[in-house]
Amino acid sequence: MADRSPVITGLGIVSAAGFGTEEVWRAVAAGTSGLKPLTLFQSPRYGQIVTGEIQRDLIALGAPTHSSRSDKLGWLAAREAIADAKIDFQTCGDRAGVLLGTSVGGSYDSELFLATLIKRGKMRARPTRFHECSTTVDLIADSFGLFGPSMAIATACSSSALAIAQAAEMIMSGEADVMLTGGADSMSRMTWGGFHSLLLVDAAGCRPFDVTRSGMSHGEGAAVLILESEESARRRGAKILARLSGWGLSCDAYHATAPHPQGAGATAAMQSALHRAGLEPAAIDYVNAHGTGTRDNDIAETIALKTVFHNRVPPFSSTKRVFGHALAASGAMEAVVCIEALRHQELPPNPGFSKCDPAIGLEPVTELRHAPLSHVMSNSFGFGGNNGVLIFSKAATSPQTRAPKKVQVAVGGIGVIGPGAIVIKQITAPLPPGQGPVRSCGLLADAAMLAPNQRRRLSRLQQMAIITARHSHPPDAAQRVAIAIGTGLGCLEDAGAFIENLVAKDEREPMPSRFPNSVHNSPAGQVAIDQAARGMNAAPTVGEITFECALWQGISQLNTDEADCALVGAVDETDKYLLSIGQRWGAWNETIMPGEGAVVASLAGADQLASPLARVTTLKLGRYHKPFDAEREADWIASVVDLSQADVLLSGAKGFRKLEPMYAAVAAALIQRAGKKLEHQTYKQLCGEFHSASAFGFSIAVKLAQERKCGVLLYTLSQRGAKALCLVQP
Amino acid sequence: MQISTHELKSKVIESLKLQDITPEQIDDDAPLFGTGLGLDSIDALELVVLLEKDYGIVIKDIEEGRPAFRSVKTLAEFIAAKRPQ
Repeated sequence: MADRSPVITGLGIVSAAGFGTEEVWRAVAAGTSGLKPLTLFQSPRYGQIVTGEIQRDLIALGAPTHSSRSDKLGWLAAREAIADAKIDFQTCGDRAGVLLGTSVGGSYDSELFLATLIKRGKMRARPTRFHECSTTVDLIADSFGLFGPSMAIATACSSSALAIAQAAEMIMSGEADVMLTGGADSMSRMTWGGFHSLLLVDAAGCRPFDVTRSGMSHGEGAAVLILESEESARRRGAKILARLSGWGLSCDAYHATAPHPQGAGATAAMQSALHRAGLEPAAIDYVNAHGTGTRDNDIAETIALKTVFHNRVPPFSSTKRVFGHALAASGAMEAVVCIEALRHQELPPNPGFSKCDPAIGLEPVTELRHAPLSHVMSNSFGFGGNNGVLIFSKAATSPQTRAPKKVQVAVGGIGVIGPGAIVIKQITAPLPPGQGPVRSCGLLADAAMLAPNQRRRLSRLQQMAIITARHSHPPDAAQRVAIAIGTGLGCLEDAGAFIENLVAKDEREPMPSRFPNSVHNSPAGQVAIDQAARGMNAAPTVGEITFECALWQGISQLNTDEADCALVGAVDETDKYLLSIGQRWGAWNETIMPGEGAVVASLAGADQLASPLARVTTLKLGRYHKPFDAEREADWIASVVDLSQADVLLSGAKGFRKLEPMYAAVAAALIQRAGKKLEHQTYKQLCGEFHSASAFGFSIAVKLAQERKCGVLLYTLSQRGAKALCLVQP
Repeated sequence: MQISTHELKSKVIESLKLQDITPEQIDDDAPLFGTGLGLDSIDALELVVLLEKDYGIVIKDIEEGRPAFRSVKTLAEFIAAKRPQ
């Protein structure tokens, strides 16, 4: 059997402490703080507090002009990593993919749209074009020619740890040979105002684990790893920098922002990573801690370290003062630190620490020192108690990583809140007034399932996710439950209200309840709390194929036996900004209506379910070539599934005009070669056009498979190049 | 300057969006966090916003507010002592 162990063959990093692996390692080794006073935007309330802002001209360095700030950072890191790995993606076909963690996405740029709109009453289109978190992934895939699976994960501060773990899963399972993975996030007024509203920012710069610490420092940046199977690296004679030997994901299922006080989720993620790597705790030689410098994180994390390592905690440090907290990018940036520590056989120091906190009772590494390092661990924890832990090993170790087994996946239950009546929505000032038909979910009929005090802070989108999850699966304490609930645009209402308030009131009267709701993983995180689900908690965001990516993530947790049950789904809502942008630029008409909805399905091994609704027998993610070639697509589909098993092609047509001719041509080409009657059906005429619409398509596929005993091929294209194929059978 | 605990309770209910509860049902001395009203750390931050917006009291470190957030009575006393005249 070919060796599927993931190895790292290239690195790239951009940060406040330097550009490029060498410059960054010099800063890390010296314990230099990269924090400087904020210049990126005006902050009337908080002034020029120090941050890990990147103060270099990104365009002059070669970054693409038509992109968001996060895109530029990610692209620069990708360019370096690709050069470092000396890899030519043209030789990889569709075996090389992109999987990044991003949570701010284009927020910095689209905030300019809102500021102009609120202060001058004008709409400028361009900034919103790069709003989505997945634009970085699409930009890199298109720019460097990667046609394998592409996905973005938005789980706040653990995003890129989850992305790297799942890229490794892609390689272990044989779905790709090479994955460009990591994360990118820029600074934004939203996260700036948000963490300030939570009183989590240390004006003097973060001091992780120090007795006087009083919060985190903002940062930004990107880091990219070229991860490939050992077989692929050896075949092309690549230099192996290190191995990724284990990874573990978990959820506290405790609170929207506060970590579990005893670090229960962090402990579980570290133990899961050790188990996956086949290593005992004593084998770990260094831990790069999450160590944000907030009082609660540092205490909870060190309690978890003491539990995992039975009070013999290996040398550890936090490098957050070097970079600032670059949110979704921090896990990947710290992965680079870990890999460089292994290569130099040196322990990096923890700038900002001077006096031990009796409440912690542990001291981090204070000065760079030589140490024999074989296996090192990197911790990342995010909002919603979302935990990701990675274990990197020296190239010259033999990996014991546990391989996944393929499980027959079946759908046990499904919950849908969907496209009810066509509601005429009036768009309010300061937006251009007007109205148009919307496929709205209206009032949430089952909202009474939630206790009044549970509902008081939940956004509408979170309520939709909780209700559909409950319909799909009754909470069961005896089961290990993983969650993957994606969203294309997240909680628009909360994010919009938060930024509107910040801009209009010059940062006065912050909204601490709104900020935690603005992250894309907040619906998944709230479902975890409601279901006491402590397994993986992921929130993919990948345009029109968001749901299929959640499906993939859930199935991967069943295949690796990390969960007994996976709740997979996608949620999206409309708001006045989305409606008016679409209206202003002519996206909507009488047949293409904006929609919204939530779908969650529970998955388990077919042999574990008494009466499964249907089986998911094939799932494949990828990217299509431009210009679009329908025959090539039909070849791809026919190579992935046995067309004789499919009776219905359920496509994402009847939505955005750009995709219409593509769907029609592929349907025609497939019907021609199916050799039997293949019926082309669509679902967007029922639910409207929105990023999660294919989740609604999936619910129809399950119904058709169950009631008509037919095989349904769910085929989805994203406007920006991603595609997904899923076969649902009785 | 004394402030009315009844008025303060109404403000707390409104700012925290507490459901199915009236000012009369909140005891002046009952703990707000933990067992009492069952508030959490995000509610504490909303109280910080309320103190600044309605009373001009700026809190930069949540630890400063902690003793004041024990009950409605301690909150009223804190406001009376800190309120800019």
